[in-house]
Amino acid sequence: MQNWINAFSWLNVRFLLMGLWVTIYISVISVILSFIFGSILGIIRYSKIKYVSQVVGFVIDIIRNIPLLLIIFFTYFGLPNFGLRPETIPAAIIAMTVFESSMIAEIVRSGIQSVSVGQMEGARSTGMSFVQALWHVVLPQAYKNMVPAIISQFVSLIKDTSLATIIVVPEMMQHAQVIYGQNANYILPMFAALAVLYFVVCFTLSIIGNVIGKHLS
Amino acid sequence: MSMIEFHNVQKFYGHFHALHDINLEIDQGETVVLIGPSGSGKSTLVRTVNGLESIQKGKLIVNGHDLSDPKTNLNILRSDVGMVFQHFNLYKNKDVLENIMLAPRIVSHIPEEENKKQALDLLDMVGLRKWAHNMPSQISGGQKQRVAIARTLAMKPKLILYDEPTSALDPEMIDDVLQVIKKVTNESGMTSLIVTHEMGFAKEVANRVIFMDQGRIVEDDDSESFFKQPKTERAQQFLSKIISH
Repeated sequence: MQNWINAFSWLNVRFLLMGLWVTIYISVISVILSFIFGSILGIIRYSKIKYVSQVVGFVIDIIRNIPLLLIIFFTYFGLPNFGLRPETIPAAIIAMTVFESSMIAEIVRSGIQSVSVGQMEGARSTGMSFVQALWHVVLPQAYKNMVPAIISQFVSLIKDTSLATIIVVPEMMQHAQVIYGQNANYILPMFAALAVLYFVVCFTLSIIGNVIGKHLS
Repeated sequence: MSMIEFHNVQKFYGHFHALHDINLEIDQGETVVLIGPSGSGKSTLVRTVNGLESIQKGKLIVNGHDLSDPKTNLNILRSDVGMVFQHFNLYKNKDVLENIMLAPRIVSHIPEEENKKQALDLLDMVGLRKWAHNMPSQISGGQKQRVAIARTLAMKPKLILYDEPTSALDPEMIDDVLQVIKKVTNESGMTSLIVTHEMGFAKEVANRVIFMDQGRIVEDDDSESFFKQPKTERAQQFLSKIISH
């Protein structure tokens, strides 16, 4: 019992919360960026622009089928070979964004395809351009259908930020390791704290997602 | 002056030859009804007219735009060519009024007030003004189709294509929609190309009837002579089957 009390000294709790802050920081930026890039890529893939959408599709397939950990390693240890030396946090954001954009792109593409072709044809037949028809008619319906899939992808994203501990990003997982690295008796308390904190953050996001989903329908 | 000209048009879906050597000229102001058994290429033909389907060979000119030329701007063509679909295709994310106002606003840039007045007038014309703020999911099939016609008219098209406008409707709803189409074709002087299975309606509304079978135009005649006595055996057979039940 004393171990648990000691483990949660103010110093340790503060250190853990600093990690949580970094986790949230990385997550929020990656969520925003991957939503934007993923949507653009998904639309390009759906649009069937000659060659471009095939190339985009090919790249998405590659990224979706390699481990995120490898992408994190590559951005931190691989990019320097090309003259880019991102710090740990930017490296984590780049890696998360690249990986999640390709996941979101597929969700967006299938979301657009779930809207009946007639909606696009109806809009195009009044003289709207492809982009106008997408923007005013197809995408609003597609995003409504996509909310659950996108939210669950972002929940994964938040949990996956813990992988960034491998390149010593000062996020929550890393900070927990630092704490129990000093005293092995703190291992279980830290695991419990991590579980609770990740759960609270992810579950809150799921609830927000449900509210958005209900609001849209 | 002709509104639509097909010159030796061929359409393929992969290896399937959907339209065989179509030659057809439709003048401004004509109301042409296209009939034939299912799979005869009627819908395909109508959909080539506004570029929803591409053609592989031949020349197709609609309202002065050459659809066989890949450089032709289809958006400009389509703003003058309305289309009414079998399944209405109302925008599910917009209410009835917005369905009508969207294209005039973002394609023709009509001032908002004028746009709204026009949309409400059109809703009056199709008898649905009090449904203006309902979503498409809250109105019946027949009402949806009348809204779709109003939406098409809001762009002040020179040509309207109707692709089986009543095939997806309950029998009781069909008449309301046909009345509206009749009103539009009689009063406007617009060119209309109508695919339909409603022979009574066809007889009433058409100046000219085109009968298609297996991707070919089999017969092209004025409405009266066609319904009195079709020239080809295939058309006689078709009519007798349709009218007999």
